[in-house]
Amino acid sequence: MEAYLNKGIKQIINQFPEVENILDEYGIGCAPCNVGTCLLKDIIEIHNLNTDEEQKIMTRIAKIFYPGKVIKIPQIKRKRKAELKEISYSPPIKNLVEEHVIIKRWVALIPEVIKNLEVDSEEGRQLILDGVDFIRSYADKYHHAKEEEILFKYFDKDLDILKVMYEDHQQARSHVKAILEALERKDKAAIAKHFNAYGDLLNEHIKKEDEILYPWMDKNLSVTQIGELFSKFKAADEQIGYSSAKYEKFVNRFEDKFKQKELR
Amino acid sequence: MKTIEGCPGSQMLDFKDHKDTEEPEGKIESQLRQWPIQMHLISPTAPYYQGADVLLTADCVAYALGDFHRDYLTDKSIAVACPKLDTDQEIYLEKIKAWFDDAQINTLTVLIMQVPCCTGLLNLAQEAAQASNRKVPIKYVVVGVQGEILQKEWASA
Repeated sequence: MEAYLNKGIKQIINQFPEVENILDEYGIGCAPCNVGTCLLKDIIEIHNLNTDEEQKIMTRIAKIFYPGKVIKIPQIKRKRKAELKEISYSPPIKNLVEEHVIIKRWVALIPEVIKNLEVDSEEGRQLILDGVDFIRSYADKYHHAKEEEILFKYFDKDLDILKVMYEDHQQARSHVKAILEALERKDKAAIAKHFNAYGDLLNEHIKKEDEILYPWMDKNLSVTQIGELFSKFKAADEQIGYSSAKYEKFVNRFEDKFKQKELR
Repeated sequence: MKTIEGCPGSQMLDFKDHKDTEEPEGKIESQLRQWPIQMHLISPTAPYYQGADVLLTADCVAYALGDFHRDYLTDKSIAVACPKLDTDQEIYLEKIKAWFDDAQINTLTVLIMQVPCCTGLLNLAQEAAQASNRKVPIKYVVVGVQGEILQKEWASA
């Protein structure tokens, strides 16, 4: 069993596809992950299951690895005890979660953007460019940059979970690039495809960060580091010269616009 | 534990028979790195508050919390106060504000006892935070009368 605990999750799912369903049941969505090099033991630890749930999930997985055999289930060594309570974020991390709320509101509008896709008129092209500006200026330059340039620097860059986050950011940037290239070609299908892919990616990415990565980071940052992060985030926001409020207004405007269209 | 009813802040409790503790070996070094510490006596802009992680601790906490020095005081600057008995607490409000705005502290951790009157110290810190121009993360820790940690949360920034 120890050998499997030290294997990458993608490798395990490829070899034993049933494991994916078990992880799904516990809200551990490793299957869509692009990297999948997290070790099984780290996945169990980082999702902070309580002891009973950990034993249940490990027993079920062991039965898949060794059908018909009785296997002693090793307990995953944890740095901290599992706690079952509502997620409470530190102030700097809470700021990132609040930025996610604005990003998710824009992502929720993507189906409407696609429904109204128009590449020949100035107004239609502007709608696409406004969407791209939101992604590039707010979701990426304002939000992801704070993660990459500040928050992630407090942790080992070789951690699998961070590799996954960097990979997600890169993929998001590729989709945006592809949207602009498709706009040049006036290729509506490709624009829709990449907007949709961006939305799916971001929803999954934000869920991973809000529920798994951020709580784990909060537990591992010292009070001093939390204070530093808060100051560094504030300095980064001041340096960039615009605020969340600007993009919140942008999302409000688009929500109103699509709501009015619906009413007509 | 024998109990006598009354105000939770001054209720008599006796837990001398309750503790079953291991004695730590060797001399335990103090982690205090400044003087004075009483809120009326401190200057909020003293060098040891500049950019520091500051503890604002209710007087009783250090007596209840066995590992106070090791777990909370290490690498921190401190001030102590009693929100129930101290007078002229508007001075405290101004001093906490000065920590945020003038001393540019990094964080503020408010350590209070579980008794209701102690919440006044956290309220004071939050009031000062609202009135200050510069925001700083504030954490609070609620300590039980037998030294147990009952709650540990980030309050605001």
